[in-house]
Amino acid sequence: MRAFGNRPFVLSLASLVLFFLYAPLLVIVIFSFNDSSYTGLPFNGFTLHWYGDLLSNRQIMGSIWNSVYVAVGVVILSVVFGLPAAIALDRYEFPGKGIFRRIVMLPIVLPGIITGVALLSFYLTLNLKLSLHTIMLGQGTALMCITITEVFARLQQMGKSQTEAAVNLGANDWEVFRHVTLPGVKSSLFGAMLISFSISFDEIAVTFLLTGRENTLPMTLWSLLRREVTPEVNAAATLIIAVSVVLIVIGMYASRGKGAAGSEGR
Amino acid sequence: MTTGIELRDLRKRYEGHGSAGSWAVDGVDMQIGRGQFVTLLGPSGCGKTTTLRMIAGFEVPTSGQILRDGVDITDQPVTDREMRMVFQDFALFPNMTVAENVAFGLKTRRMKGRFGAAEVRRRVGEYLDLVHLGTHADKRPHQLSGGQKQRVSLARALITDPDVVLFDEPLGSLDAHLRKVMQIELIRLHRELNKTFIYVTHDQDEAMAMSDAIAVMNGGKVQQFGTPREIYDRPTSRYVAGFIGHAHIVEATVAESGASGLSVRLGNGEVVRLDAPADLQRGEAVGLMLRAEDLSLAKPGEGELHGQVSDSLYRGEYVEYVVDLKGGAGTVHVHEPTHAAPFAHGADVALKVNPAKAHVVGGA
Repeated sequence: MRAFGNRPFVLSLASLVLFFLYAPLLVIVIFSFNDSSYTGLPFNGFTLHWYGDLLSNRQIMGSIWNSVYVAVGVVILSVVFGLPAAIALDRYEFPGKGIFRRIVMLPIVLPGIITGVALLSFYLTLNLKLSLHTIMLGQGTALMCITITEVFARLQQMGKSQTEAAVNLGANDWEVFRHVTLPGVKSSLFGAMLISFSISFDEIAVTFLLTGRENTLPMTLWSLLRREVTPEVNAAATLIIAVSVVLIVIGMYASRGKGAAGSEGR
Repeated sequence: MTTGIELRDLRKRYEGHGSAGSWAVDGVDMQIGRGQFVTLLGPSGCGKTTTLRMIAGFEVPTSGQILRDGVDITDQPVTDREMRMVFQDFALFPNMTVAENVAFGLKTRRMKGRFGAAEVRRRVGEYLDLVHLGTHADKRPHQLSGGQKQRVSLARALITDPDVVLFDEPLGSLDAHLRKVMQIELIRLHRELNKTFIYVTHDQDEAMAMSDAIAVMNGGKVQQFGTPREIYDRPTSRYVAGFIGHAHIVEATVAESGASGLSVRLGNGEVVRLDAPADLQRGEAVGLMLRAEDLSLAKPGEGELHGQVSDSLYRGEYVEYVVDLKGGAGTVHVHEPTHAAPFAHGADVALKVNPAKAHVVGGA
C-alpha cells in the first residue's frame, strides 16, 4: 500500500502538532520537580518540595476536594437523569420527542458563559443561595446530555430484539433493565461518567458565575496564576495530568470491552 | 384437528407522516391447528412479520382478533402469552453464558421460583443436549458460530415448554448449507416436541420443505392458505403460481370446459388438454401454468405445443431448456434428464404437457 502523501512532510507535520500539544504539559511536569521557586530555567535539581507545599496549602487542597465533590455530584446527576432519559428516547414514542432529542444537546453547544448567565439569573429569581451545590446543579444540567447521547447511541446500536426476547421469556420491566439494558449500556455509561467527571473537574465558565464562597480547583488555580506561576501550581497540574492519564487508560480499556460486546450483535 | 391459534380479520395500520399511512396487514383470517407447523411466506413488506409480531404481542392490532384455543388474547400482554419467539438476529444476551441464556426463562420473577437451582441445571443440560450444544454451556455467545447461536436461541425458547413457538426468519442470517442442516433440525424438533410452530420466511424452499401448511402473503393479505402440495400444484392466483416454484404462465382462453376436463387455446391456436375440470366458461381468459418438470421435449409433431429452443443450461441434475413457443405465445422452461439426447440451440421442438399437472389460474 502506498504511504499517505509525502512521508517526511506528513511526519514532520504530525511531530509539530504533537510537540505543540504535549511540550507545554511536559514543561509543567518538569518544573514541578525543579528545585527553584521560579518557573523557568535553569534546572536546579530534583525536588519533591513543591508537592509537600501543595499538600500543606489549605486553599489548593480545599479546592481540589471541592472539585471532586462537585464532579461526583455531576456524575450522579447525569446518571440518575440521563440514563432514564436515554432509555425513554430509545423505547417510547412521546409528543415532542424529536425536539427533546435535539434540545438536550443545547447546553453543550452554547458557549458556557451563556449557560452560566442563564442559570445564574434563574437561580437568583428562585432566591437560591450560590454554593457548590448550585455549581453541581448547573454543570449537571449541562453535562447530562453526554450521558443521554452516549447511552442512547448504544441502545440504538443494540436494537430492540434482546429486550423483546427478554419480555417474550417472561421478564418484567425491572428484570429487562437489570439483565439486558444495563449490561448492554454499561460500557457507554461508564465512558460518559468519565467524560462528565473530567469536564466538570476543569469547567470554569459556568462555575465562575455560579460559585458561592467556596471555589473549585480551576478557579483557585486561575486566581493564583494572576499573580505568578508558582511551583505549587505546577505540582497541582502534574497531579491532575497523572489522574487524567489514569482515567483515559481506564476509559480505553472499558471501550475495548464495548467493542467486543458490539460484535455479538449478529 | 383442534384450532390452536385463530386470526380473525386482523389488521395493522402504520401511520406515516401527514395523512399518509399504510396497511401492513390488511384483513388476515387464518386457523392454525394445534401442533401444526404453519409458515407465513411472502416477499419483504408483505405483512408476514407484522402478523407474527401481533400473535406474539409485540404489535397491537389496529382491528381484528387473535384467539387462542377459542379465547380472545388480542389485548393480553406479551409476558402473559407464554409463546416463545426465535429471532433472526438470535437476540442472545451477550453478557451471559450459553447456559445462563437458556435458563433465563426459568428464572424470571413470574416463575416464582418454581424451578430450583438443581432443576434449572438439569433442564438446561437436557435442552442443550436437544440442540446438540451440551459441551458449550459455559461459552459466551460471541464464541459461537451463527448456527450454534440459533441453536442456543432455540433451546432458550423451548425450555419453558411453550405450546406455541414463533420463528421470525430464524435461518435468514445463516449460509445456504447451514440453513439446510437447521431445516432438518427444526423438522425433527417439531416432530419430537408436538408444539405449534408458526414460522415466517421469504424462502419458498424452506417453507415447502418444513410446513404442514403455508400461507402465501402479499400486500398485507393471505393470497392462499393450504398444504405445500396444494400451493404448489393448485395455486389459486397468478401471484401464488408465480411466487412458488419456477412456473411460467402462458396466456390462453378456455376452448372447452366440462366434467371430463378442460382444454385451453393459446394465442398461437395450439390447444392443451388438462385432466382437472374447472368452473370456467368457454372463451374465458386464463393463465396456463406450465412448470419445467411437467413438460418434456419431443420431435416436432409428437407433442401438443411447438416452439424453438432459445437457450440450454446444464444444471448438473438436469438440463434446462428455454423454449420460445410458436407464434410468440410465450416462453417456458423445460427440464430434461442429462442422459437424453441434447436439443441444439435454435432447434424446432414439440412439447408434451403432463395433463395431470398442468393448471390454469383465473383472470387476465
